[in-house]
Amino acid sequence: MALDNIIERCQDLYDDLRFSYVKEWKAAQPGRHAIGYMPVYVPRELIHAAGMLPVGILGGGDQLDVIHGDAYYQSYICRIPRSTIELALTGRLDDLDGMLFPSTCDVIRNLSGMWQLKFGDKLIRYFDVPQDFDPAVGGKYYVYELQSLRDELAQLAGRPITDDDLRQSIALYNENRAVISELYAYRSREPWQVLTHELYLLLRAGMILPVDEHTQLLRDYMVAARNTKRPVRDNCRVVMNGLFCEQPPLGLLKSIELAGCYVVDDDFLLVARWLLDDVPLAGDPLQNLCDAFLTRSLETSCKFVPQQKDKGAYLLASVRDNHAEGVIFAAPSFCDPALLDRPMLQRVLTENNIPYTAFKYSENSGQMQPIREQAGTFADSIKLWSAA
Amino acid sequence: MTRAAGIDLGTGVVKIAVFDVIDGETTWLGKHASRIRRRDPLVLARQGYEALLAELGIEPDSVDYIATTGDGENIPFRTGHFYSMTTHARGASYLRPGVRAVVDIGALHGRAISTDERGKVLTYRMTSQCASGSGQFLENIARYLGVALEEVGEISQQSDAPETVSSICAVLAETDVINMISRGISTPNILKGIHLAMASRLVKLLKSIKVREGEALLTGGLATDQGLLDAMREQVIEQKLNVTIDGHPDSIYAGAIGAALWGAFRHDKLAQADHAIPASSLDDYDASAPFTQTEVSQEASDCPLTGTRPVQGGECPAGEIDRLRRDSVE
Repeated sequence: MALDNIIERCQDLYDDLRFSYVKEWKAAQPGRHAIGYMPVYVPRELIHAAGMLPVGILGGGDQLDVIHGDAYYQSYICRIPRSTIELALTGRLDDLDGMLFPSTCDVIRNLSGMWQLKFGDKLIRYFDVPQDFDPAVGGKYYVYELQSLRDELAQLAGRPITDDDLRQSIALYNENRAVISELYAYRSREPWQVLTHELYLLLRAGMILPVDEHTQLLRDYMVAARNTKRPVRDNCRVVMNGLFCEQPPLGLLKSIELAGCYVVDDDFLLVARWLLDDVPLAGDPLQNLCDAFLTRSLETSCKFVPQQKDKGAYLLASVRDNHAEGVIFAAPSFCDPALLDRPMLQRVLTENNIPYTAFKYSENSGQMQPIREQAGTFADSIKLWSAA
Repeated sequence: MTRAAGIDLGTGVVKIAVFDVIDGETTWLGKHASRIRRRDPLVLARQGYEALLAELGIEPDSVDYIATTGDGENIPFRTGHFYSMTTHARGASYLRPGVRAVVDIGALHGRAISTDERGKVLTYRMTSQCASGSGQFLENIARYLGVALEEVGEISQQSDAPETVSSICAVLAETDVINMISRGISTPNILKGIHLAMASRLVKLLKSIKVREGEALLTGGLATDQGLLDAMREQVIEQKLNVTIDGHPDSIYAGAIGAALWGAFRHDKLAQADHAIPASSLDDYDASAPFTQTEVSQEASDCPLTGTRPVQGGECPAGEIDRLRRDSVE
């Protein structure tokens, strides 16, 4: 498939706030169920193993007018819960048979409560992940949480979710993560070949397409990208941080690229990369998912770091591993996790002489000129005045 | 030797400069400027670039780095892009070595920039929400008055009693001008009033970045407007600054000069690190590529006054750039 066609397909899925794909997927085989989930992490393997379609619900972006949603939240709350409830109140999420709200922050937790009040006839679950990484404490709790979700999904599916079902799903998601990891490595090596706004659209497609179809799409993209010669620019290499929940408008990503930056790592849509390695297929699948979460998962602002000395280590490693020359902190307005973490992360960068710049956005930000100016002058300062 | 080209894609004019740099010694080989008018700026940039190289007898492949600035980030054959204040600061330090302050007045923005001796931007401030500090505004007024843009400065210098104009809002200022015409105010006094209003804002920008003494060079499309230069000098006195405001015959090329020189600098820096980027071959790009304004510039928020969408930069109502291109006099 040609590069443009792949991106066009992803763009169509991205633009469709009516989730027509979900409707078509369900209509193709009566009795199918679709389960929505919000950022940052849920174990999609469980949903898939139940024969259901996991659907990432990531707010309304910059194409949705929030009319009812503002009545549900104070003015000092970020935009993603308002636009998400707007999606539901306007019938756009009617094809979903359930929603999972992970423990990203208090706002998302509150949203799960609103869902219970408004849409109590569906499967609604606040999915609480452990912040204690001791297997005897957090691990025990998390296996219980996974089993509880498994039971609820099985009840909705009308059949048990067997260990073999789970293993098959885990294998598919292992494969998907491996291909995404390959894509990220490709972008880091040749960022002019994998444009970040395209990578983002590809990941977004994975929020709605079945996992095997998405894996193939990623492979097709990489083949097409390797067959497409794109010009090398004198851009600086940056890591973007803080965009793990409320989504950046596509225009923001394009602005960063136009401003002279190659994004070589980011924290978009972490659900697709949360587990760092393959989850073993042998043994108890729930225990394996739990162990992967406890010991081999990504770090972000939503995850507790027990040792202060370890705070920001993942960001430093990302900068070094990807040969980045700077960091762009882009956090949604009123995002407690990202904005509370930012000073600590900035301190770590300062101590290591890594330049950074910071701004805020919301999913419907429209005026990109200030961001372009800021990112552009940041890129200039790196290109002209850095020691490297 | 490093050969670099700078292309400054402005709102109204495309400016191009080509330099050779040998051991830090710069040689300005040539320059080119063309008004955009109704033409596609990207196509115009390429045509101008090719025409300049042909005029200089330079093979495109001999150019090591093609640097863009202004709105040139969409030029497909660029090697790299630098932001306007970065390039204007460098261009000013080339045109007037030792200068530490720059006032860049383009079609959409006015900027005051302070620099160090290397041309590094230390701080800057630019006009914010309104176009009344910009060349676009002056061009509109000139058109209402039936005056060619090139005549504006000279006519303004004939003023004996300049009229006060709103310096806050381009739309209100245009209303002011219509009222002045109906009251029989002379064209020189209207234009001088406009110049003083613009100069007042620009000198305030200089004050805001704490430039209170020394020399400031005007750059950008309006830098050769003698009427504006006079008004700036009056405003410096009015606002009690000890700053010498000056222009340069090549001030409009400051952005292109700065881009070329920074491009040469980057080329050498990358080459030293063994990371030189091969210059683009023009053959790889379609010469008739349409100017595709990115979604970025189309996503500006609505103008609170007119309710219309500002163009890139959020400075003036939709269609204004197109109107300028249609109506500009070459």
